[in-house]
Amino acid sequence: MTAMQKIEDIYNNRGSRARSLRDEGHKIIGYFCCFVPDEIITALGLVPYRIQGSQTEPIDEADALLEPMACPFARSCFNMALKDEYDFLDGFVAPHSCDTIERLYHIWHTNKPSPFNHLINVPHMLGPSSDEFYKNELLYFTRRLEEFAGRKLDLERLKEAIRLYNRRRALLRELYGLRKENPPRVTGAEITKTLVAGMGIPATEHIELITGLIAEVKERPAAASDGLPRIFLWGNEIDDSSFIELVEECGAHVVMDDLCTGSRFFWQDVDETEDPFDGLVRRYLDIHCPRTLKPQAGAREDDLENRFGYIRRFIEDWEAAGAIFYIVRYCDTCELEGPDLKEYLNGLNLPVLMIEDDYSTSTMGQLRTRIQAFLEMIM
Amino acid sequence: MTMEQAQQVKTTAVKGTDTAREIRGLVKNIYKSAHEAKARGQKIAYFMVASQYDEVVRAMDVVPLPTENYAGLCAAKRDMDRFLLKAEADGYSQVLCSYARIGLGFDSMRRELGHIPEGSPDGGMPAPDMMLGSSAVCDPRFKWYQAARRYLDVPTFGMDVVFPPPQADLNEVRDYYIRYQRDQLQALIDFLEVQTGKKMDPEKLWECIRLGDKAWQLWYDIDRLRVAVPCPMPSQDHFSIMVPGHYYSGTQTAVDFYQKLYDEVKYKTDNKIGVIPDEKYRILYGGGLPPWHTLWIFNYFESFGAVFVIENVYRGFDPVEVPAHVKDPVDYLAWRAFLRYTAYHEKARANSGIPTVEKLLEMIDDYKIDGVVFHACRSCRATTIGQVHMKNELGKYSDLPMMQLVSDMVDLRDYSEAQWKAQIGAFTEALQARKKV
Ligand code: SF4
Ligand code: SF4
Repeated sequence: MTAMQKIEDIYNNRGSRARSLRDEGHKIIGYFCCFVPDEIITALGLVPYRIQGSQTEPIDEADALLEPMACPFARSCFNMALKDEYDFLDGFVAPHSCDTIERLYHIWHTNKPSPFNHLINVPHMLGPSSDEFYKNELLYFTRRLEEFAGRKLDLERLKEAIRLYNRRRALLRELYGLRKENPPRVTGAEITKTLVAGMGIPATEHIELITGLIAEVKERPAAASDGLPRIFLWGNEIDDSSFIELVEECGAHVVMDDLCTGSRFFWQDVDETEDPFDGLVRRYLDIHCPRTLKPQAGAREDDLENRFGYIRRFIEDWEAAGAIFYIVRYCDTCELEGPDLKEYLNGLNLPVLMIEDDYSTSTMGQLRTRIQAFLEMIM
Repeated sequence: MTMEQAQQVKTTAVKGTDTAREIRGLVKNIYKSAHEAKARGQKIAYFMVASQYDEVVRAMDVVPLPTENYAGLCAAKRDMDRFLLKAEADGYSQVLCSYARIGLGFDSMRRELGHIPEGSPDGGMPAPDMMLGSSAVCDPRFKWYQAARRYLDVPTFGMDVVFPPPQADLNEVRDYYIRYQRDQLQALIDFLEVQTGKKMDPEKLWECIRLGDKAWQLWYDIDRLRVAVPCPMPSQDHFSIMVPGHYYSGTQTAVDFYQKLYDEVKYKTDNKIGVIPDEKYRILYGGGLPPWHTLWIFNYFESFGAVFVIENVYRGFDPVEVPAHVKDPVDYLAWRAFLRYTAYHEKARANSGIPTVEKLLEMIDDYKIDGVVFHACRSCRATTIGQVHMKNELGKYSDLPMMQLVSDMVDLRDYSEAQWKAQIGAFTEALQARKKV
């Protein structure tokens, strides 16, 4: 089996590795979003598992417990939990990333409690006091998790875990670097599968797969230039490759992204600080998510540059010719961020297609025409 | 006027108390004072209610301009569509918080025109000198002002408001939660000092806190009077009289208003004067923002003998006792916020696990409730998600009829009168059936 085939396999059977690890006696800690440090969970000898939804399964059972105007990604995750698809979780951790996740934490906790349940408050604001607060929240979380794991956190092991995840981050950046080629030898859909598959397996195993994939991609024959537009994707949760496949089918290369399930969750390393928690705090609070308010930096133009400058660099370095936003409906922070980012990118002469969707593969057909029209326009 | 038009303009409800009728003037005055302050050169700020910073803003002599209230006002005047549509044309989603949509649409129009849009309710909002967002209650309340900078390039600040989940060990987390809240308030003060060129006067802040606490104590006392049968003041009054508590907090105006209202409600209680002559059912408004577009619906309930006697919105907290060792006003505000938010945590841990359920159970008991109604607003995640959950959990401890009405706080496109009337009909039948047994 090639590395890509192994990845596909895990991607298609997302909980299977976690289940088998559990059968071997490991404890699996499920969590939402990008704000829960895998490093802490791993250093305590537990297995982190990032909870995902399903864009193909209809949401049915969740409706009796959760309002339909909640983010469909969150509803889908909960729906799966209600159907016992997350019965392998020993722990359930939610960061207070947004209103929906915070509310859902309580609903989930009441209806589908895990042996270990915990909510981490994540500051929405940035600054020294936010760092201190978040550090205290992480320390409090660690103490609760220590009780659950029945062992104390060894700071050396935490530093080791930080190095481990930094290694994975470096490899993922290397993989993303290969997308700079024109045309890239690795597709956007393959990238998403690689990332999503990695969210449900131990980092050591993921590292092996990425290493194998990088070698494979390098061996693929270089394709002749096809003149298709290179696309940058922005949005929140895309844990299914079908949307990206659709964009690529319509005649484009998805070459770079800023998604919770993409570069956003791995791009920055954790600094190896003397107190490892300091490095964790900095790194996790600095995640570029619209749910965090960047303090205003000067007048409008400077402020936009301060908020989105990293995206400009992505676009320049990966030579994107257009941007597509995929916003999961009812995500207020993304919905408020989208028009600002659009204005900024338009200012760089980059065309933008803003899509708001229901986190469901059933709407893909309707999106095809819009994407085709957009690609034709930028060709 | 055609029938349809007559229906369209009828938005407000008939009030129960005389004092509540004075609110109209207080609302008008919010916008009038902002215009006057602007003319004088006094600083005005866009401001989010219930952010735990009200007294700080007042003590700094900054005039608050509550954008959420303005959105509700537009809905009550049925003049929201042009602002909603403008925001949508500017790229904001149709499902984004409709308060934010109205605010952004208004700002966008004011900028495009170079003046306040013609005929805006109560004279419209002047452009502020700054915007003060907060993370209390929901995410849009800090993201909205960041987005509004597209139309208003003014200094903008966001303050975090945090509280622990009910399962947290309060002894373990209390200190660092309060410290963070204090630091956030201090950062706001630093910001306001730069904007106004004035130093915060701690004595003045204490004075505003004293007035703020006094007003909220009186408001609480008024609500306690409402346990009386028949009920002396209905929820439609509450949705008006929350104005001083939220938009005049920290001023004598709020204290005077609640004192007067207290006296009236006390008189009604003592003389057994109810909202309607024949009170058959006592309803708890379980949560959610009110349907500003259709407040007369409360009178519709009354036509079945059902009175809304108490509600779980706007007066979010009972008075709390900050420990005497707290001597600094900023510390006091941080402590007060923490105590307010954790007031039902202990009870929750001992019983249902959910602070709001505990609070509602207390209300059901104290106010002799016969049924509970929630209002889900399609575009407000923060006050809506969890209502079904509350209803389900409450149902484990109480057999009262409960119902969730769905629309939006302002966007009429989400409202169906026929469906509401059918639901209300079924609900009142359930009330009746339960009373018979
Ligand atoms: S997509 Fe948005 S609303 Fe949904 S969980 Fe993520 S941040 Fe929250
Ligand atoms: S609480 Fe609801 S209505 Fe108020 S600003 Fe937040 S989302 Fe909008």
